[in-house]
Amino acid sequence: MKNLEELKKIREKVRKSLEMRSGDFQVKIVVCLGTCGIAAGARQTMNRFAELIAQSGRTDLIISTTGCAGFCEQEPMIKIQEKGKEPVTYGKVDVQAAEEIFHQHVLQGQVVNQYLFTKGE
Amino acid sequence: MKTIADHLFDILENSVNAQANKIVVKLSFNNKIFSCQIRDNGIATNLEDVTDPFVTSRKTRKVGLGLPLLKATVEATGGYLEIVPLRKKSGTKVKFNINMNHIDARPFGDLAAVFTDALLSWPEVDFEIRIVNHKQEKKILDTVDLKKDLQTDQLNNIEIQDYIKKYLQDELIKIGINQQFGD
Repeated sequence: MKNLEELKKIREKVRKSLEMRSGDFQVKIVVCLGTCGIAAGARQTMNRFAELIAQSGRTDLIISTTGCAGFCEQEPMIKIQEKGKEPVTYGKVDVQAAEEIFHQHVLQGQVVNQYLFTKGE
Repeated sequence: MKTIADHLFDILENSVNAQANKIVVKLSFNNKIFSCQIRDNGIATNLEDVTDPFVTSRKTRKVGLGLPLLKATVEATGGYLEIVPLRKKSGTKVKFNINMNHIDARPFGDLAAVFTDALLSWPEVDFEIRIVNHKQEKKILDTVDLKKDLQTDQLNNIEIQDYIKKYLQDELIKIGINQQFGD
C-alpha cells in the first residue's frame, strides 16, 4: 500500500477531480443494496454506473445507496433523481439496462419505459 | 447469493445499517478453511435468533434473510457462524468458517471488490482489513491512514478504487484466495 510514488500520482489526480466537482449534483443514482439487491447483482449494476460516470467525465452525477425497498422481486432496483424533477424508479436493472438508462435518462433526461417501475416517491 | 463475496458485502451492509462507522475485517485461509471475522461499532440489537428469517430489526418487512442465508451457505460446508455482541464497547462481531474443499462450497467471487464497493457505497464508514497467516496478523488496508496519505476524505473515486482493488487482489492471492475455491 505504501508505494509512495503511486500514491502521489493518485493524490494529484484526485485533487484535480475534486476541484472540478461543483459540490452540487444534477442527477443522483440511488442503488438498492439490501440482501435482495445484492443477491440479484446490484453491485455489478452499481459498478457499471460508476464506470459510466467516470467515462462521461461529468462531475455533477453521483451514486448513492439505500436498503431494501420492499419489492425484492424487482431487484436490482435503482432510482434516478434529477434535480427539480420527480424521481423515477426502475426495476430489474442489470448491467445492460444500466447502460441504457444511463445514456437515455441520466444523460438525456428521457425515461426508459422498458424498465420503468414507478414514477414519484 | 452466488458467491462468498456477495455474503460478505451483505454482512457489511448490516453493520452500516446498525450505524457503524468503523468496521474491522479479519481474513484467513489455511488448509482450505476460509475464516472471516467482522467487527463493527454499530448498535448491537437483540442478537438472539438473528439467524431466524422471521427476525429482523427492520420495520418495512417482517423477514430478514441476510444472516439466515449466510448460515445456510456456511453450514452446507460443515462450517459455523457465530454472532456475538461486544460487551465492552458497543458493536457486534460476526465470525464464520467455510470449508472451501467441500462439494457444496460457493466460490469466493471478487473479495477485493467487496471492499471497494463498500467504499463507494458508504464513503462515511472507515474500514480496516487484516490478513491472518500462520498466526501472523498483517493490516492490509486502513482507510483512516489512506485518507491521511491521500489528503482527502473521499475515497469513492474510481482511480483510488482501482488502485485499492488491485492491491487487495494481490494480497489475497498471496494467501491463496482467488475468485474460485482457493489454491
